[in-house]
Amino acid sequence: MTQVDLLNLTIAQAAPRLERRELSPVELTEAMLQRIAAVNTQLNAYITVCAQQARDVAQATERMIRAGYYLGPLHGIPIALKDNIYTRGIRTTAGAKILADFVPDEDASVTARLKRAGAIILGKVNMHEFAWGGTTDNPHYGTCRNPWNPERFPAGSSGGSGAAVAARTCLGALGTDTGGSIRLPSSVNGIVGIRPTIGRVSNYNVVPLAWTMDTVSPMTRTVEDCVTMFEVIAGWDPLDPHSAQVPVADYRAELGRGIRGLRIGLIRDYSLTHVQKAVGDAVRSALKTLEDLGARTEEIPMPSIHGNISAQLTIESCEPSAYHQEWLRTRPGDYGEDVRTLLEMGEMYLATHYIQAQRYRSVLRREFVEGFRQVDVFVTPTLPFTATPCGATEVVIENNLKEDMLSAIMQFTGVPSLAGLPALSLPVGFDPDGLPVGMQVIGRPFDEGTLFRLGHAYQGATSWHTKSPRL
Amino acid sequence: MKIDEPVTKETIECLGVLAGLPLPAPRRDKLVPMASALIAAANELNRKMAEGRRRGVSPITRFPER
Repeated sequence: MTQVDLLNLTIAQAAPRLERRELSPVELTEAMLQRIAAVNTQLNAYITVCAQQARDVAQATERMIRAGYYLGPLHGIPIALKDNIYTRGIRTTAGAKILADFVPDEDASVTARLKRAGAIILGKVNMHEFAWGGTTDNPHYGTCRNPWNPERFPAGSSGGSGAAVAARTCLGALGTDTGGSIRLPSSVNGIVGIRPTIGRVSNYNVVPLAWTMDTVSPMTRTVEDCVTMFEVIAGWDPLDPHSAQVPVADYRAELGRGIRGLRIGLIRDYSLTHVQKAVGDAVRSALKTLEDLGARTEEIPMPSIHGNISAQLTIESCEPSAYHQEWLRTRPGDYGEDVRTLLEMGEMYLATHYIQAQRYRSVLRREFVEGFRQVDVFVTPTLPFTATPCGATEVVIENNLKEDMLSAIMQFTGVPSLAGLPALSLPVGFDPDGLPVGMQVIGRPFDEGTLFRLGHAYQGATSWHTKSPRL
Repeated sequence: MKIDEPVTKETIECLGVLAGLPLPAPRRDKLVPMASALIAAANELNRKMAEGRRRGVSPITRFPER
C-alpha cells in the first residue's frame, strides 16, 4: 500500500486488514506519525505527539495479533484524544496555560476503554482553552487551522480533533461536547461527530466545562467508524455519577436497516431559517436524498425554541465560572483574554438567571418529547454558516448583517445540549468556496442507533464523506 | 440605578464586589457590553419562565431521565 492509501483508510477498511495481518499496525502508525510531522506545523492540530509511545504500542500490538490475540475492530487503530481527556503519564493541558504541566496519574474512563480495545494513541489534540469557546484560536498552544483552507477556523472547542481527522493524521478522535463542541468542528471540517445522550458515555476524568451539559464522543470520517468507537466507550461507569444504567444497543445491527418509513421533523420557523444560502441549499438537498431513501419529512411547531441561546449562554457561563473560581482569583493573567472575560461574565449572573435557564431546559425537553410522538428525528443545519476566517469574532449569515460569533455558532447545536438529547453531525456538501457543510440530526434520549442508521444510509447514497482536503 | 437602565461600569463593580471578584477598571470596561447583552437576554428568559403557566416547571439539573 502507498502512503496515500494508508492515510485514506477508514477504520472499517483498516480493521479487517489488521486482523488478517495484511496490514501492520507499525506501518499504519508510522504513516500517521509522518503525516502529523508533515502537516502539524501548518494546522496546529496536535498539542502533544506521543510518537515513541505510539511506536512501542504498535510493535506490541503487532506481536499480539501475530500470536492470534486480536481484540476487535479498534485493535491497532491509531487515534487522537482531545487534550482535556486524562491520559496517564501524558500531559493533559485542556488547552490551558494553567494546566501546562499537568500529567494525570490515571486515565479517563474513555481512555482506558479505548486502550483496552487496542487503540493506539498518537497524541493529544488542540482545543479551545478549557473548552470554553468555539474557535480553537488558542493563545497558549497556537491557532488551530482548518485543513480545507488553513486561513479558516476549524471551529471548536474540539477543533484539533476535527482538523486531525479531516487531515488524515489519525483514523478517529475523541472530542467533548457541551454546547456543540463536537458537532461544530465536525461540520466545518467535513467529518462525522456525535454528541451522545447525557449519561451514555462516561465523563470521569475529563476536565469539565459545564457539568450538566458535558459529554464525550468520537469524531470520524464515516458513520460506521463512529459506531466502532462509540460501541467501545458507551455504557455505564460507576465512577461517573451522571452515568446512566441504560443498556447499550447493538448499533452495528442498526446500520443495515435502512430508513424506509423514518419520520423526519423540521422545526417550524427554525430548522431552515437564518442560515447562509449554501448551508440551506445543502441541507435541503440532503433531505431530498433521505426522502428518496424512504424517509418522510414534516414540520413540527416548537414554540419555546427561541429562548435557547440565552439559556445556553447562562448555564455555560455560570457552571464554568464555579469550576474556575479559585484560579480566576489567583491566576487571572494565565487565562486567554476571551476565556477570562467569559469566566468573569459568569460571575455577573444572578442565581435566578441560572435556575430559570435550567427550568427552560424542562420546557424545551417536554416540547421535544411531544414532537417525538410525531417524528423519529429532527433535522437542522449543524451551523448556520461555513468556516469563517481564523480570528473572526463576528460572522455574516444573511443580509450583510454582522453577528456575534459566540451566539451565532450556538444557533442550532445548543438545543439538543439543553434538552439532553443525542445529536449527530454529518457532512452534506460544500459551499462555493469548497468549505464543508454539516447537517445535525437530533434523536430521542438513548436512541443514538437511529441517528447512526440515518447517517449510514445517507453516506451509502452520497460521497461527501469520501472527499479529502488538498493539503 | 433604575431598573431599566443599561448595565454600567458601576453595576459591574457592584456585582464584582458581591461575588468577591476584584475587577480592575479595564476589566469592568470589557464586561459592560457583554453583560448588557447577556443580562438583558437572561432577564427576558426570566420573565418568560416566571409566567403563571410555567409555575409547575422544575429545573432539570440531572440527566438522564428517559
